[in-house]
Amino acid sequence: MTDNLQRTLLTGNAAAAWGARLAGVDYIPAFPITPQTEIIETLARWIDAGELQARLVTLESEHAMITAAGGAAATGVRVFSATSSQGLLYAMEMLYTVAGWRVPLVLVNVSRGLAAPITLEPDHNDVLAARDSGFLQIHCATCQEVLDSTLIAFRLAEDPRVRLPVIVNLDGFYLSFTREPVQIPDASRCRDYVGEFDNATIAFRASAPESQAVAVLGGSPYSYFRYELHLAAMNALAAYEEAASRYEQLCGRMHANVEAYQCDDAEIVFVMMGSFATKAKEAVDRLRDAGRRVGLLRPRLLRPFPLTTMRAHLAGKKAVAVIDQNLSMGLGGVLHTELAAALYGQPDQPKVVASFIAGLGGRDIRAEEFYEIAATVDRAGDRGETPGPQLLYTADELRELRKLQALARAERRQLSAATAPKPAAE
Amino acid sequence: MTTADERFHRMKDLPSTHLLGTGTPMCAGCGGLEALHEAYDILGPKTVFVNAAGCMTLLSVYPLTPFRGSWLYTAMAAAPAGAQGIRDALDILLASKRMSAEDDLQVVVLTGDGAAYGMGLSATSGAIERDLDFIYLCYDNEGYGNTGQQYSSATPHAARTATSRGPAGYPGRKKDLFDIWVAHKPAYAATVVGAEPLDLARKLEQARSTKGPRLILALAPCPTGWDYEPRLSVEIGKLAVKTGIWPLKEYVDGQVVHTKAPHPRLPVEEYLSLQGRYAHLFHPRRNDQLIAEIQAEVDRYWADVEGS
Amino acid sequence: MYRIRFHGRGGQGMKTASRILGTALFLEGFEVQDAPRYGAERRGAPIFAYVRADKRTINERGIIDNPDLVVVADDTLIPVPAAGVLSGIDAHTVVLINSDTDSQTWSQRLATPATVITFRMPEADEGHGESGYTGVACAAAAARLIGFLTADNLEQAIRKELGEHGATVVDANLRVARASFDSLAAHAAVVCEGALRSAVDYLQPQWTRLEAEAAAVSAPVVRAAANSELSKTGSWRVERPVIDYERCNRCWWVCSTFCPDGAISVDAQGKPEIDYDHCKGCMICVAQCPPHAIAALPEHAAQLADTRS
Repeated sequence: MTDNLQRTLLTGNAAAAWGARLAGVDYIPAFPITPQTEIIETLARWIDAGELQARLVTLESEHAMITAAGGAAATGVRVFSATSSQGLLYAMEMLYTVAGWRVPLVLVNVSRGLAAPITLEPDHNDVLAARDSGFLQIHCATCQEVLDSTLIAFRLAEDPRVRLPVIVNLDGFYLSFTREPVQIPDASRCRDYVGEFDNATIAFRASAPESQAVAVLGGSPYSYFRYELHLAAMNALAAYEEAASRYEQLCGRMHANVEAYQCDDAEIVFVMMGSFATKAKEAVDRLRDAGRRVGLLRPRLLRPFPLTTMRAHLAGKKAVAVIDQNLSMGLGGVLHTELAAALYGQPDQPKVVASFIAGLGGRDIRAEEFYEIAATVDRAGDRGETPGPQLLYTADELRELRKLQALARAERRQLSAATAPKPAAE
Repeated sequence: MTTADERFHRMKDLPSTHLLGTGTPMCAGCGGLEALHEAYDILGPKTVFVNAAGCMTLLSVYPLTPFRGSWLYTAMAAAPAGAQGIRDALDILLASKRMSAEDDLQVVVLTGDGAAYGMGLSATSGAIERDLDFIYLCYDNEGYGNTGQQYSSATPHAARTATSRGPAGYPGRKKDLFDIWVAHKPAYAATVVGAEPLDLARKLEQARSTKGPRLILALAPCPTGWDYEPRLSVEIGKLAVKTGIWPLKEYVDGQVVHTKAPHPRLPVEEYLSLQGRYAHLFHPRRNDQLIAEIQAEVDRYWADVEGS
Repeated sequence: MYRIRFHGRGGQGMKTASRILGTALFLEGFEVQDAPRYGAERRGAPIFAYVRADKRTINERGIIDNPDLVVVADDTLIPVPAAGVLSGIDAHTVVLINSDTDSQTWSQRLATPATVITFRMPEADEGHGESGYTGVACAAAAARLIGFLTADNLEQAIRKELGEHGATVVDANLRVARASFDSLAAHAAVVCEGALRSAVDYLQPQWTRLEAEAAAVSAPVVRAAANSELSKTGSWRVERPVIDYERCNRCWWVCSTFCPDGAISVDAQGKPEIDYDHCKGCMICVAQCPPHAIAALPEHAAQLADTRS
């Protein structure tokens, strides 16, 4: 409860709630969905107990929730919300809309695989579906990062060069319900860091009437407004660097737009986002013990895409293995696609940029699979040929799936006389 | 043709064999599952259940299903729209003789109160307005149960939920879904509870043999969300009726008729005191004011009913 | 790195156990990662929780597939495949089982090279077969087996995790924890850290190629009718309803109608029969039977009686 410099064990959800609390949010439009519900429950409890001065309102759907979030931000208060998967998608129309309003707010997404089939465990298809919306995206790998990124996100969103809403993504279950050591920074220093919400330029006040988000007819003016949004998102590269630097001054932790682990002398580099990237880090350590020069590149910022940094770290590498916890139907892994586009035509681009699809719906990635990925792209690098995409899925898994299919396809049982409903008397 | 009353005249007319498969992951003592299994015995396997996100989404988890009929999981806001599509398609197939009448299905929307009272209301209103021939079966456990019992628009005044933990519980009031349906002039609407199986059976039979938009709103006592031992689910359901908190009524032929009018009505306290979600009304001190408010609201309702 | 799994049923406090142990290790200066893992997330259904602890930053994630210590709070879970109690255990694993049956018998039954130790909950429960202190007892037992955690350290962790419930609850938990901790003195420090996963000698994953298959089977559709009965939810039970047919008066099948799961069938003569493969033990039938012909027995005792007869 008290703000101190000691570390404490917090779940990713609790860390997100702390981020919102330390940022001094005013307004929390909410709607429950697994696996983020604990975030709003924590905030509601603090408000009920008088520990947080904010208003939390449960809306009737996520579409309504994001609309309320944008409306409040447009009026001039600091807004925080949280959702996941189906909820994020239900709000999709309003994600694009609210970004177009050019108002700042922070939305935590707790990633979860998308229906159909409906599931509960994480992958990244949900948050990636929002990548064109105008919301910026920060991807976290640890519970500490979740707290820190929420604060950085407010500063980033409210930066006058940006003025865009920001999604902070954490993986369901592996971060949301998992406790890790988190340092909760001092509250007043956090308030200084985020500063006061500046509603001088976008606000609803009787004294200063505004018609916001008006219709725009004609391709030429429409193009102007849309491209300006894109330029603001590009400004966020510099704004993020500054926000992250200032944050390092606050608490000593640096969260660069891309985490580069053991990349300098690496021949082979894993590229991954999110919490499973720490498993890749562990694999890097074991592979290094075995004498292999492997590294990990983990984009934290996905929108804007950290083009220059990615190119710089991958230049001259023998082989790159992009591990996507997502799938664009009919094309393949999203990060792979974006990275390949970023590297195309670069003078010393890696010979091999291979795509691996793993962890869909929370399917675990074993240490051995990382080692095998490294071995595979190493051989490919020797040949100079990028292999086709590989789904991480074993023969054992398929055998188990066949058993389930057998159960699901069992012949329809005839209703016996004993189980037939009683006929209605004539 | 027998009426519902004649088919279910006495307790022994209730089905003695049950169609809904065992082995579903609903909580032990789930009042919603109890209402569903009673209803399914009457609706039978020539049904397609169209579901929105809620506890019962987990009724069918691959590769298992408890249904002998059909099932479609849609999305939280959308079940009535899914039902519209299925019913329209079945009608097309029947009209163009691409399907025999024997293969026809009764379309049944199954949702919790989260979808029925909140996010799904728009789709519901649209479906009734289009005179969709379907049954809407809502299991009302008075909160967003599947995510841990946060308050919904079906949460009653003063109830403790995961998002209303203050000393006075939920400050809002329970939305009146029955009245919202009645305002749409549906073909039929009824409130039921699994603890009153004969009343439920009659209403399901009435619904089954009617055409058009039909509501079956089932109070679903919830041991997990309401915080009581599972064995009390039926007792609590009965008390909901005996205290007048859950009126058993139906809208039929343009009129609202009560099928049970408890006389005398037990004090609401007998219902509230059994549930942990109302513990703060009794411990550490009785909150006489809130208890009296709840009682007054119930008294007002029945005064109106008796007056008209 | 220490890798510990707690297995129990929903409602038995496995999440609490993992948090108490996690906090104790954290207070001792370890990096810690702990999480509960739900299946159906229902009372009585199998759940597990896990704890990782290391001096360095923990980069591993997810379910522990090679535990150093497995704590089994409810031995009736061991024969339930879905509970995965023995998953990934090997010769270095210590398996601690809360059981009346001795460790030698368990060792033989399980045919495992792992070290098997049994213990009993300090608060013997007469009534319901479920102790409210299972979680803290398991955490304390695990702490003793790990070895370097002191009783003080454990106490601090309990105060931190359970403090919000008030002094009476905390004190009761502390007593149970102390008793549990002391009872395993003979096995102190028996748990050893697991090795790192070598990248030199590793078991190659057998990746396969998924081929496109007809939508009829590759869409998430179930064509079986009521095959949910393959899920034996009777394994959730901690209490069992038993009908006394002398008292049963073949009423209008109250029990069968009110059973939410449809686990009571009635024959042509009106005689009810409980399907114990699927009865979850909600006890509604016990509460509602008009002549009170159904009794509630602790499941554990009933299972022992079953195996003897």
